[in-house]
Amino acid sequence: MFDLEWYLIFAGIPLAIIVILALLTLKPGANRRPRYKPGQPWNHAPVWYEPHPVHTGGHGPAPAHGPAAVPGGSGTAALGSSMYPEQPAERNTDASGAGSSHGATAHGASAAGASAHGASAHGAPEPAGPLGGARGTW
Amino acid sequence: MTRALEVDSHDTATSQTSSARTDEGPTDDIFSFRELARLDEALTMSSRETGLHFTLYVGELDMPTRRTAEALHARSSHHPTDSVLIAVSPGQRVVEVVTGAGAARRLPDRACALAVLSMTSSFASGDLVGGIVNGLRQMSDQAGHPAALRTH
Repeated sequence: MFDLEWYLIFAGIPLAIIVILALLTLKPGANRRPRYKPGQPWNHAPVWYEPHPVHTGGHGPAPAHGPAAVPGGSGTAALGSSMYPEQPAERNTDASGAGSSHGATAHGASAAGASAHGASAHGAPEPAGPLGGARGTW
Repeated sequence: MTRALEVDSHDTATSQTSSARTDEGPTDDIFSFRELARLDEALTMSSRETGLHFTLYVGELDMPTRRTAEALHARSSHHPTDSVLIAVSPGQRVVEVVTGAGAARRLPDRACALAVLSMTSSFASGDLVGGIVNGLRQMSDQAGHPAALRTH
């Protein structure tokens, strides 16, 4: 009664279905780049993304040129790009750890002086005034 | 978000047109093509809706991180007054949001702090792109439309 034909039909077909579904599910995931986990070091070069310039003919991001990735702020012709290439000294290769404080603290940063200092390095016409914003750690 | 099957190469490149974006291979070893598209859309739509210039920096920040972020912000556009920089350093686990004076009038510090809080929650779960996109959405909702576009 339990000959080869029986096993092929009643065990082989379900097993084949399961194996096919497993391959379809698991195989694409194997190529995915490793997921970010907090605490692991970040060894990629810095990237700086900008929005598309306003007057690009009126269509939205559909043309999908991707973000105007400005690696480290190198100069491009797009409106709003940074005005000089990233300085080598600004690329920090030694990752000192962040503070262990949690939660977000609002910063009414002083920075009329700091931003003017950053701006005067390349003659930007307007200082950004008292800067605001927030910071957080995780 | 998983895909069951890889997209086939359509090999649409000709002498006048470039190849399809999905055929070019990863443009970035940090974010996949779809994640880049999400970031692009979030940045562009936030900037268009609010009239502020949102930029995103992902990478190492020299200590002290706040000063580095402010220096980057000053370089971020021709009008840093109306621009907002989001600087994420996943290695140091710090996120800095810097708003120029004009942007800070429309996007107060407490709104930035709320957005940062939601971003850090997402980052702590390992979701960089989702955190950034949600943070941008929150900040652009808070900043609202420029006064010239308001009809009421």
